[in-house]
Amino acid sequence: MKKVLAAVDNSSAGRGVIASARALAALLDAGVEVLYVRVDGDRTVRQAAEAAGLELRIAEGPVVERLIKEGAADDVVALVVGTRRSHAARRALGRTAAAVATQLPKPILIVPPDADPAPVFRRVLVPIEGSVSSSLAPRTVFELAAGAEIDAVALHVYDESSVPAFTDQPQHEQPAWEDEFLHRYCPWGLASVRLETRVGRSGESISRAAEECGCDLIALGWSQELSGGRAPVVREVLELSSRPVLLVPVRSAIDSRDTTTARNSGGAEQHAFSPSGVSPFEGGTNP
Amino acid sequence: MKTLPGSRQQKNTTVRIPSSLDRRFEAAIFDWDGTAVPDRSADAGELRSVVEALCKQGFDLVVITGTHVGNVDGQLGARPAGPGRLYFCVNRGSEVYAANETGLELLYRREATPEEESALDEAATRTVAELERRGLTAAVVSQRLNRRKIDLIPEPEWADPPKARITELLQAVQDRLHATAVGGLTGAVEIAVVAATTAGIDDPRVTSDAKHVEIGLTDKADSARWAFAELAGRGVSPRLTLVAGDEFGSLGGLPGSDSFLLVREGTAATSFSVGSEPSGTPTQVLSLHGGPQLFVAVLKDQLERRLRGDVPELDMAEGWTILVEGLDPAHERVDESLLTIADGCLGTRGSPLFTDPSTAPAVLLNGAYTGDGHSTQLAIAPPWTELLSISPEHRAVTRTLDLATGLLREAGPYESLRFSSLARPATVALRLQAGKARLKRRSKDRSDTPVVAALIDRRLDQTFERLAAYDIDENRARGRLAEAQAMGYEALLKEQRMAWAGRWQTADAVVEGDPELQLAIRLALFHLMASVAERGEAAVGARGLTGPAYSGHVFWDSDVFVLPFLAATHPEAARAMLEYRIRRLPSAREAARELGRRGARFAWESAANGRDVTPPSVRGPDGKLIRIRTGELEEHIVGDVAWAAACYLDWTGDEVFASGPGRELFIETARYWASRVRHTSDGKAHIFGVVGPDEYHEPVDDNAFTNVLARWNLRRAAAFPGISGEERAEWLAVADALVDGYDPSSGIYEQFAGFHDLEALIIEEVAPRRPIAADLLLGAKRTAGAQVLKQADVLMLHHMLPEDVAPDSLVPNLDFYEPRTAHGSSLSPAIHAGLLARAGRYRTALEALRIAARLDLDDLTGTTSGGLHLATMGGLWQALAFGFAGLRPYGDRLVLDPRLPRDWGALELALQLRGQPLRVRIDRSGISAGDGWKVDRKGDHWEVSPR
Repeated sequence: MKKVLAAVDNSSAGRGVIASARALAALLDAGVEVLYVRVDGDRTVRQAAEAAGLELRIAEGPVVERLIKEGAADDVVALVVGTRRSHAARRALGRTAAAVATQLPKPILIVPPDADPAPVFRRVLVPIEGSVSSSLAPRTVFELAAGAEIDAVALHVYDESSVPAFTDQPQHEQPAWEDEFLHRYCPWGLASVRLETRVGRSGESISRAAEECGCDLIALGWSQELSGGRAPVVREVLELSSRPVLLVPVRSAIDSRDTTTARNSGGAEQHAFSPSGVSPFEGGTNP
Repeated sequence: MKTLPGSRQQKNTTVRIPSSLDRRFEAAIFDWDGTAVPDRSADAGELRSVVEALCKQGFDLVVITGTHVGNVDGQLGARPAGPGRLYFCVNRGSEVYAANETGLELLYRREATPEEESALDEAATRTVAELERRGLTAAVVSQRLNRRKIDLIPEPEWADPPKARITELLQAVQDRLHATAVGGLTGAVEIAVVAATTAGIDDPRVTSDAKHVEIGLTDKADSARWAFAELAGRGVSPRLTLVAGDEFGSLGGLPGSDSFLLVREGTAATSFSVGSEPSGTPTQVLSLHGGPQLFVAVLKDQLERRLRGDVPELDMAEGWTILVEGLDPAHERVDESLLTIADGCLGTRGSPLFTDPSTAPAVLLNGAYTGDGHSTQLAIAPPWTELLSISPEHRAVTRTLDLATGLLREAGPYESLRFSSLARPATVALRLQAGKARLKRRSKDRSDTPVVAALIDRRLDQTFERLAAYDIDENRARGRLAEAQAMGYEALLKEQRMAWAGRWQTADAVVEGDPELQLAIRLALFHLMASVAERGEAAVGARGLTGPAYSGHVFWDSDVFVLPFLAATHPEAARAMLEYRIRRLPSAREAARELGRRGARFAWESAANGRDVTPPSVRGPDGKLIRIRTGELEEHIVGDVAWAAACYLDWTGDEVFASGPGRELFIETARYWASRVRHTSDGKAHIFGVVGPDEYHEPVDDNAFTNVLARWNLRRAAAFPGISGEERAEWLAVADALVDGYDPSSGIYEQFAGFHDLEALIIEEVAPRRPIAADLLLGAKRTAGAQVLKQADVLMLHHMLPEDVAPDSLVPNLDFYEPRTAHGSSLSPAIHAGLLARAGRYRTALEALRIAARLDLDDLTGTTSGGLHLATMGGLWQALAFGFAGLRPYGDRLVLDPRLPRDWGALELALQLRGQPLRVRIDRSGISAGDGWKVDRKGDHWEVSPR
């Protein structure tokens, strides 16, 4: 049976991690396993697992390596970790979470320290940059959650580099634009996907939109690169969001969609159309 | 000599059809004696049957011969009923006849002047004399139309040699000539040329068939040029034309008589020789030998292809072809918009014949709406092209739209050709050979649409055909379907080719030196013509018939951006657009009354009944709710409608319109303005609380564009006869009192009262690029408080009313406003392109022009998937016509003041002025306008007027 692995440490963040893991597991029709790679004591983590009615498995070894090894197991569909130990922690994204997220090529749910998620994720915010490859990442999640009832809110944030060229008559232009955006970048076959747009800094806009739209989960496609200042949007969202953030590696999404794409397009390769480089859908920083 | 390998044996014959002819053609141009028949006494019964059958299937045939029509027609005797035509180009380029059911019809005759007749006689006499002087006895043997024939070997043995003895004949003639001081056949011809020139013939056509030398005013090349021009006018391009002869190769050192068929206009044609060609053939001619038997076999093969339902070919000409390979899910809906076929009444998006999650097929009928209020939208009509089931791995089709003929071809695992009949609007036709695809069962018709589709299908072996007719009235749809069915696919196809060829003759625009721009121009003009009906009323929505975006609502886009092109090229369509407005005068009067005003207040967004259907709000790109006030406040639409009527009148001089419904339009709109203004104690008149073209600022007072347009409207209406003295006086007084914001010291019009007090933010400097939606970049509030424009506002006056703005005010206003313009409207770049060209700023003019030209091709708005931007397309044409060509109609004259960029070799515009076609060509050598027009230089401009 497939499972969601809740990776807890002996901190106050564990409770939120476990609760989020249960909500994600319900979405993915999977079980939950709570895993603690021993660093110090285990009383807090045991009580958190017990309070959730789940068994705790304790493993030994270097934390990051062990979590990556456990997460790589075939029956693990996603790993859940805390963003950091507490909301007062200095780093927005803890070393362990960062290391595991950049190395494990699977969806990773990163939970803010004071998260209090609903038992089941009902509405997910899916920021879409506006390229086919990044839009496919969330698709993996939805394919995994096939059959579950989930309300998807796609979000596109315009920043200075991607502000559209024209608004024309917005009462018509905006619905037409949104319709094409959904067709092009949200081909997930879900009955209800609505599009929200915002203007501003991506990370800030994503966090705010999640609250405004009543989303209990944010799903971000990303390249698993944090070095050299990469993924600024991911960092900012993780820092600001009070919602759990599901990071879906783009590579794993492309791998999973290869056959699907070939089936749907008669062999034509999907690509974002931009012959003149002025496509209104491109631009912005790849999170 | 060129012989192609590979061939296909025609059924029931021993004749092999070469691979290069193994496709469907639409016409044949051919020599007679030696090509179509062995000689002039041979029985041509079989050929006659084939010719008549081919014409019935829409194939055109042109015989080109040196003899007279009596010889050819007397032998062939064909009387085709059409729709294909049979022509005889006879008397070596001097006459053209058409054969039809009732007989022969003379289409053209070159009449020599008495001076030319004398010159021909003299030339012939001189030639004979010189030949005599050199020892050769020759004789003038005939005085045919426009030519004289001299026999070089007047001996009984060679009285009437058959083509089969050509080699012997040539040897005999050469021997005879070499025995004298003439020195061969080329020498004889040279003597004739000198004689003709000496006699005063400017461009003598001297040819030889070995036995004779002919001196003429015309030759077979003239016939060939006529033939290709005629076929082009019937929508048949050279690539779809066969050219056949038997004497292409040289004869005695002289060009073969059929080599004159190889004119520049027919370079793309497929030429072949059935003769023995002892000296070989030019490289572009296939040497097939085979004689007339092969020629007839080729024609029979073409007939067979039509009878069995082969899918017709397209021309694939550069500058006329939109080609989409494969199906790219990310771009498919944009492609479908670009590939839309329409006929002015019905539009069908270019979706493939199979359904796919990425496709968005739609069929739209002009004026057929559903819903009410701001939810009114164009009804989606029942589909007629969702035909096939095909597995995903076989969906790599190539779709090709031929802009010259409005034909859409799909090829790959199946082949099809479909079109929407320009000659019979709202009638469509499709032919399909299914190949690996499977035909679906016909699904039930949609019941949720007011549009009815009457369809009929026909199968013939591997070929499937569908005809359909659409209407909101079922009986009318069925009636049109019955008419189409009686004609059949081939005849409908022929009509379609001819209808589009006719349209392009008075509408084409050519820019020499920029192929990419040229294709974009043709795409724009094609969709403009395809989106506007020419009868009844034409409700032209912002995206025409190419997609559902903008719900089919009619904006000023139609009146100001689309109509001018049609007024200047196909005025019937412009008249239909005005009819739409005229029929909505009652609603416009009611709207004015509701506002406590007089006259007619047209709606900003209009649909079925003319009432305003502007949506009241929308959630904008920043997620905030935007209140839409354009419906309430953007009142320049009233003047825009009047301006469109004036534009139509300027190009047509339509007195009936001017004295009838046009007059009513001007009067009612003037009444509106007269009641709209407010007078202040200083005697000035103002229009408070409007939105101008620049929609970033709302509401504003005394928008310069609105006020000057209103002033022009009042004065134009006041000039109509039959207005009461009191009303005329009122209108003129209001016009004189209206403020326009013009400052003579700066030469600048203040866009609206208080504009100069706004933050002086230069968007050209602060934006990362332009065009850009400045309201999103800066925020709506900041934008509203700054001197940032969405699009041309004051400058629209210089574009629309250049004679109603202060002289020499273009440059100061361009300098002031252009850097402040974000171009956040797709309507803006084309207008600026034209004005920048007027100001001689070619680099920036071309940059702006290119944005307009590529707007849909490159999907610059992100919404081309919902339909094409007709206003931008119309603006593109206006930039060329009014900007770069600098032309304006004045009565029966055109005034031109061109501004051509260095990179352009020429600019050509086909137009209609007062019902007369002309083709203006502007290049480095000057300006021409075609037959019937003269061009005079008048100081700093040119005038084109009727001869």
